[in-house]
Parts: sequence; structure tokens; C-alpha cells
Amino acid sequence: MYALHMEWTKLRTVATTGWWLLGLVACTVGLAAFVSSTVDAVNCAPRCDFDLPRLSLSGVYIGQIAAVALGALAVTTEYDTAMVRTTLAAYPRRGAVLAAKLAVVTVVVLGCAALGVLGSLAVARGILPGNGFTRANGYPPLSLGDRATLRAYLGTVLYLGLIAILSAGVGATLRNTAATVSMVLGMLYVLPIVIPFLPTGAWRDALYRYSPMSAGLTVQATRGLNALPIGPWPGLGVLAGYAGAAVLAGALLFRLRDA
Amino acid sequence: MTTRAAGEPSLPTMEPNIQVHQLHKRYGRTVAVDGLTFTVRPGQVTGFVGPNGAGKSTTMRVILGLDRPDTGTATIGGRPYRSLRTPLREVGTLLDAAAVHPGRRARDHLLWMAHSNGLPRSRVDTVLEMVGLTDVARRRAGGFSLGMRQRLGIAGALLGDPPVLMFDEPVNGLDPEGIRWIRNLLRSLAGQGRAIFVSSHLMSELEDTADHLIVVGRGRLIADTSVRDMLAAASGGRVVLRTKDRAAAMTRLANAGATVAATGPDELVIGGLPADRVVNLLSQAGVPFSEVAGHRASLEQAYMDLTRDSVEFSGAVKESR
Repeated sequence: MYALHMEWTKLRTVATTGWWLLGLVACTVGLAAFVSSTVDAVNCAPRCDFDLPRLSLSGVYIGQIAAVALGALAVTTEYDTAMVRTTLAAYPRRGAVLAAKLAVVTVVVLGCAALGVLGSLAVARGILPGNGFTRANGYPPLSLGDRATLRAYLGTVLYLGLIAILSAGVGATLRNTAATVSMVLGMLYVLPIVIPFLPTGAWRDALYRYSPMSAGLTVQATRGLNALPIGPWPGLGVLAGYAGAAVLAGALLFRLRDA
Repeated sequence: MTTRAAGEPSLPTMEPNIQVHQLHKRYGRTVAVDGLTFTVRPGQVTGFVGPNGAGKSTTMRVILGLDRPDTGTATIGGRPYRSLRTPLREVGTLLDAAAVHPGRRARDHLLWMAHSNGLPRSRVDTVLEMVGLTDVARRRAGGFSLGMRQRLGIAGALLGDPPVLMFDEPVNGLDPEGIRWIRNLLRSLAGQGRAIFVSSHLMSELEDTADHLIVVGRGRLIADTSVRDMLAAASGGRVVLRTKDRAAAMTRLANAGATVAATGPDELVIGGLPADRVVNLLSQAGVPFSEVAGHRASLEQAYMDLTRDSVEFSGAVKESR
């Protein structure tokens, strides 16, 4: 419990934490508002098969950067200042220190992700009907009562939590803020940028399945699931696999290496 | 009845000390610590001196369980550091004054440390008061001068009111006022019966503070001695004499078998004769003199003599990684 109290105090006493959390919520909601206002239910030919829950959750594409930063900073700031030695002198059990770091940053990110996602739902519900997405046009209002929609929203919250965990694990491995953030952003964004340019086929599907972001965000899909290379929950599972591997590597190195 | 029998031995009370035994540590091909053995005892200030690259910081990191030794042990009161549940109550340390998050307020830095060991919030205010940072407690540590950071680091070391304290180069970068403050603090902490372990690469910094010295060079123990013994050994029983008639004094003393060296127009350093014999001889011969005193070698000189062979000349080996 001392370890949790220690890490919680550290996290809440630097101003950057608050700014990143605010950024996470604001970017998620802001982008949701922007995307919702650019779609049109009437003048949309030839592509009118809108996946509205997924559209309303587009904010994570930017908001996740805050989750990456928060996860990384929870670990790497200690190395930027050599403060890790003070930490380990105060609390020598390293496994507990890392577990406490992961716990507090994950809980905080999950909380703000829930806020951001609910905010996205609210703005989408407010904006979309004005663009023709009405019941009369075959678009009932977004509702968490719909199972697929609920899965998309809940899954997005979990996605952001896993991103923070992944980033913290990589941080414990690389022990440097810039290197960690670059590495995680590369893992997330490179494949999703490349994939659309590849010819459709087995290769492209395989890359999709192994891309932490493409696979992970499949959890947001509510339409055309059969056409996707991986299912929603298995997709999130791929991201969880990456996060777990990163944490395992980080924890092992944290225990073995000299501080 | 199940009361304890009278005379049953109570739990052994371990002396609060630092024990290092046959410590070896290398980084790649660089041998940082090469078979160090010593004990830091309570009630005195033990200076840990050696040139840069001698392995002082490495030894301290191993004592704290931050770095793993290749062989050998380091214990606090008989226990390895990593087994301590609330280490801040057992050992206070200042390793690196710069090791604070620049965006965190001084008070919050101490607060997380207190929480890590279940120490009450009131201790934070107490140690802030002790080091004189109360007025700036709500300022961010990034804006602190080196001297203020050293004080903050020392506040962290004092947080758990520990019986053992360890400081790595605490006077580095301090102004004369700060240096005097640290000296007085170390003396008073030792006076309270605590074991104080302070490193420095400058003997002059420890000359008036330390009671005992662990001198190291290239990772090896060079001397483990009290300051008094080290000074006596360096002085070699020599005597300093002031006289208006230098030539007559030199002749008289040399004839009596002393080795005499002129160190000033009216000053001689005499070896091989005790002070009372010098006084007798000169009085009998009617040679005037105004002062006879034991030669006080500087600790610095004694230290230079000891470490001459173990200074790292190359810049390739750094003290702290």
C-alpha cells in the first residue's frame, strides 16, 4: 500500500499529469465533434454505410497520444532526473514499485478515457441529427443500450488504458522519455498509415492483425464485422498482448538492471 | 502459566552501522570496486575519501541495493538494504541533489517520500524546518539553486529520523555558509549517536568534520584509520621551532643527532628528537627560541601521500555513470 500511496502522490504532484489528462479528454471529444460535423447522411454517395459509433469515437486517434505520454512519463521521468534512485532507496522492492506505477497511471487514464468517450457520445448525439442522421433516415440515435455500440465505447476506454500500459512497459525497458514516446507512436501509427496503400490480400490482413492500433481499434467496429481481418475483442486482445509483453520485458529488466 | 522465563535473552539489538565486506563490482571491463571491506560505526562521522573514480559512489549505490555487487556483501545493521521494509527509518541518504523532478514542489517531493515509508505528514514540515526550506516549500524544485537542492536532499535523508545517514559529496557546489552549515549538521547528528558516512574527493572538506577515515583509490582500501592517527603518522613526531639564531640552533641540534630542515628565516623543522630534548639542548647552549610545537602536517598532505599511486589520470573512467 505504501508503494501505491507513493506513486499516487508522485503522479498528482506534477502539473504535466493534469495537462495530459485534460488533453486526452479534450482531443477525444474535440475530434469527435469535428468528425460528426463533417459527415452528411444525405449527400454521401457512393459510400453511405456509416459506422456511427466508430465515427463518434474517432477522437482516440489523437487522444491516445496523451495516453502514450502519461504511461511513458510515469516511468521515464524518473530516469531523466536519476530520481529512480531516490525511489528505490525509499522503496527497494522493484516489482511492487513498477506494479504501483502501472496501477495508478492505468486507473487515471481509464477514468479520463471514460470521460472522453462519454463526452464523444454526447457531442455526436447532439451534432449528428443535424446532418441528417435521423430515425427517419434509418439512423436511430447513438445509445449505449445497443450491444454493439456499448462494446465500441467500453472497448475504446479499455484500449486507451492498454495504450498507457504498453507505453509504461516500453518506458521501463528503454528508460528514456523521447525514445519511449517515439517507439510507441511508431508502433501505433506506422502500420495503419502503410496498410491502406497495400494491395488487398493475406499480407495486408496479416499486417492489420498484428498492428496494435488497427487490431486494437477493431473493438470500435459495429458494422461489416465479417469483412474485417480480426474480430473486435480478439483485436483488443492483440493490443493486450503487446502491452503484456512490454510490461514483462520492462519488469524483468527493472529487476535485473542496476538502477 | 506461559510467561517468559526471566533471563530469557531479548531480541539482539543490532548496532546501527554500515558493513561492507569483500565488495567487488565491475562495469564491463572497468573495475569500480575491488575487494573493499570496512565498517561505519555509530556516534562518529566517517569520511569516505578518494580521488575521482575511486569507487565511492559505486560503493554507496551497492550499499543502497541500487547496484548489485559481483561478489561480497553490504549490510545496514546486519541486513541487506533490499530486505528493509521501511528503509527511510533505517538509513537516510543523499546521493544526487539533482535527482528531483523539476516540476514538483519541494514539499511534495518530501511528501511522496514520506508516503513511501508510511511516515506522517508532520515529518515533512519538521525536516523542512531543520534544513531551512520552510519559506520555499511550495516552490518547484526546478527553480532551486544547487545549495537549496542539497538542503532538500538532506531533508529527504532526515525524513525517517534514521540512525544511519549516508551523504555522497554533500558540500559540492555549496557556498562557505552552506559548507559550515553541513559541517555543523553532521557533527550534531554524530553527537546524537548516529552513524554518519560522508564521501568527498577533497580531504580538506572533511578535515574538520570527520572522526574516522576510509581512504580508497582505484576501488581498493588504502587506509581505515582515525583522523588523529593519520595526522600523527603524517607528522612523524617532528617538532617545529622558532628561533632568532637559526644557525646556532641548527648546529647544536644536528650535533645531537637530529635531522634539521630550515623552513623559514626563523623556523626549523626537527626530526629524530622529542620536543623536551630540543628545549633542554637549546637552553643549555643558550640559544634563544620563542616557540616549540609538534609539527602539524595537513591531512591534505597525508592524503596526497597515500593516494599518489591511485589517482585516475585518464578521463576514461568516470566516478558516476
